Amino acid sequence: MVADTAIKFENMNKYFGAFHVLKDINLTIAKGERIVVCGPSGSGKSTLIRCVNALEKYQSGHLYVDGIELDETTSTIRKVRNHVGMCFQHFNLFPHLTALENCTLSPIFTHKIPKAEAEKQAMDYLAKVRMEGFAHKYPSQLSGGQQQRVAIARSLCMKPDIMLFDEPTSALDPESISEVLDVMVDLAGGGMTMMCVTHEMGFARKVADRVVFMDAGEIVEVNDPEGFFANPREERSAKFLKQIINH
Amino acid sequence: MLDLYFGEMSRWTDGLILTTVMSTLSVVIGFFVALPIALARSRSKGITGWLALGYVNIFRGVPLLVLMFLIYYGSGQFSRELRSAGLWWFFRDAYYCGLLALVLNTAAYQAEIIRGSLDTIATSVRETNAALNLTRWTSFRRVLLPIAFAKALPPLGNEYILMVKATSLLAIITVFDLMGQARMIFSETFNLGVYYIAAAHYLVLVLLIEWVLRRVEARIKWMA
Repeated sequence: MVADTAIKFENMNKYFGAFHVLKDINLTIAKGERIVVCGPSGSGKSTLIRCVNALEKYQSGHLYVDGIELDETTSTIRKVRNHVGMCFQHFNLFPHLTALENCTLSPIFTHKIPKAEAEKQAMDYLAKVRMEGFAHKYPSQLSGGQQQRVAIARSLCMKPDIMLFDEPTSALDPESISEVLDVMVDLAGGGMTMMCVTHEMGFARKVADRVVFMDAGEIVEVNDPEGFFANPREERSAKFLKQIINH
Repeated sequence: MLDLYFGEMSRWTDGLILTTVMSTLSVVIGFFVALPIALARSRSKGITGWLALGYVNIFRGVPLLVLMFLIYYGSGQFSRELRSAGLWWFFRDAYYCGLLALVLNTAAYQAEIIRGSLDTIATSVRETNAALNLTRWTSFRRVLLPIAFAKALPPLGNEYILMVKATSLLAIITVFDLMGQARMIFSETFNLGVYYIAAAHYLVLVLLIEWVLRRVEARIKWMA
């Protein structure tokens, strides 16, 4: 395994019961690389990134995250999760905690950082996502876009090497989409390894190093964004692109 | 009727205080007894899950009055053993026995209330806890429990009100709660008006609790 590899899938297979969700996945992601994963719904793209922080188990093959091979032991899973932050489609902020408390929960209780320090660090990250003025608001008092930006700050507070985004903008209105994407573009500029499931093709063009196109549980095409959008190599990619452009 | 109240005011007040203390204590202690049972009911499929289910079924199934009789009068049968175990001071006292019966009973109901609200917490919350690498204890104590408690507050309030009225059974095992005082005053006056006064006390107490609960629920603004 090369030292500058962040994530490596090796002949990985995953089943939900008898259903073969991920088929012989092979993909190597370098440190600092920004990957956009797209594909029709049900293609396995969310499942793929959820394997990286062990929210899903896989049945055969290998998956290395930051040099650690993911197995099913709690200690390995905990170690890997220390390196990986994740943002969900529906933000999943804790409703009973303020934006700031959402951000400090894991640093204080998992990483045992003193409260004052954790709060200072959380305020820095909230400022980074332009939410420092809302630190003491509860999620129910924030718009969807604001909640997602707090969720991004919350993940960053874990100081991850890798960030996973599972359709971070698909539950948002158009205005909120751009405020969240702006934050993600900033983040991409900072050298963070990112794996992002999204249909925001503008974002993919702007920041992705490579686009991974999936269909029916397989990686169909891995290409640079210009190549993927202009001259997709595979027929299935072309068909998918036509559908999302003509919607 | 006014005489019945003002003439015996100190006894009514004592009864009201005891009823308030017994119901509040039993609900609060019962809550902490209910927590591990609820957790076992919600998460454990093994032996602890079965034990928790057994607890709930037994103490929901046995009437509270029967439970009080069994604990207070029934313990007399084992007074020698209880004495040698150093527990007799507890079981010879109607107040402690009554409180124990109330706690055992309400804990069974509260466990089911809390289990129900733990089970309605979306899977996405548990996934978020996992993604944030929270320990099991932190995710229970800091995330699942507060959310479950807020969801459970209205039915828990209901349980509290039920318990206030259930404490009136204590009078049968010689405890001088509101009902106990009412029975005493009745035995001296043979005036059925005492029970109207007792009923009015319960009503006011319940309305007061209802008002406090409503304010607490309103304060938990993030529930919206």
